[in-house]
Amino acid sequence: MPRERWVEFATSRDERLRDELVTEHIDLARRLAHRFANRGEPYDDLVQVGSIALIKAVDRFDPDRGVEFTTYATGTVIGELKRHFRDKGWAVRAPRRIQELYLELGHTIDALSQELGRPPTVPELADSIGVSQDAILEAIEAGQGYRSSSIDAPGQRDETLADRLGSDDAGVAVVDERSVLAPALAALPERQQEVVRLRFVDGLTQSEIASRVGISQMHVSRLLAQSLARIRQNLAEGH
Amino acid sequence: MSDTVALSLPVRSDLLVLARITAATMAARADFDIEEIEDLRLAVDELCLSVVGGARSGTVRLEFTLDDATIAITCELDRRGEPDDGYVPAEPDDLSIRLIEALVDEHHRDAGTGGGRAWLSKRRSRVEH
Repeated sequence: MPRERWVEFATSRDERLRDELVTEHIDLARRLAHRFANRGEPYDDLVQVGSIALIKAVDRFDPDRGVEFTTYATGTVIGELKRHFRDKGWAVRAPRRIQELYLELGHTIDALSQELGRPPTVPELADSIGVSQDAILEAIEAGQGYRSSSIDAPGQRDETLADRLGSDDAGVAVVDERSVLAPALAALPERQQEVVRLRFVDGLTQSEIASRVGISQMHVSRLLAQSLARIRQNLAEGH
Repeated sequence: MSDTVALSLPVRSDLLVLARITAATMAARADFDIEEIEDLRLAVDELCLSVVGGARSGTVRLEFTLDDATIAITCELDRRGEPDDGYVPAEPDDLSIRLIEALVDEHHRDAGTGGGRAWLSKRRSRVEH
């Protein structure tokens, strides 16, 4: 990725260039979302969270800071995915006591971050909630959906770590999809292309899209679901 | 003051939790903030994945060193004495490298005793206790 294009975008904020930069890196967001899959949250939601985070990263990236865009974007996307899991609660089987503590932890982290102007430490969290530091650590481990029990349940004997953690060469067939994503998008009906573009490239919410396109939010939701299913199918078939 | 904790585990994905708990516990004791601890937990997973990802046998040796405000973690796959099953240490996928890059301050890798070895370190951002 030539640095000049980032410098150009930083000054021009050109919409077309922004679209290009987002499209070229959307694969990174998708792969990161894939890393967090099978952890109790729908994959589509993760891709959506990751894509929006990528758009933010493109908008906020400062080419003068001496960091590669991919490094910067990875941090941003991971941060948003972590936050998503934290906000979302979880789908993890854990004792009720730990579940409740985990939910309380989420609120307390937000509140203390506000108050302190930085993320809190474990002793500070333990103090504030009135439990031991070990309980906080236990809740983090048990509760963070992105490393949920399904990941850590005893595996089959010949299963490798790569199989389990959903690395790129395991599980879902993953090729470098950057080159095939564009045609997959192009294969969608026009209305769906537009909705997908507004959602993932422009980062609009479903309601915003609904009012812009003049359809209901439910309809937007259906179109998005259909589009993603279709894209996945096209990718799977190698179109 | 410097503390070192060592773990020696069979290659099994369900034991990875021990690596995360060890890292999180040491970092919490050293007053890392909760975001840094979450990053460290993710980085430990990726570090192990990048070293032992495709292995079906061997011993994973982990060493955690806490030195003031920096935690360093080494993960090595020891396959000495294992029957030759044709295993070749794989190049870590670039996503693992990107993740580690984004989550910690420093990292590098080498062959270790032949099975592959990777190292990372993360500094606590806050200076004051």
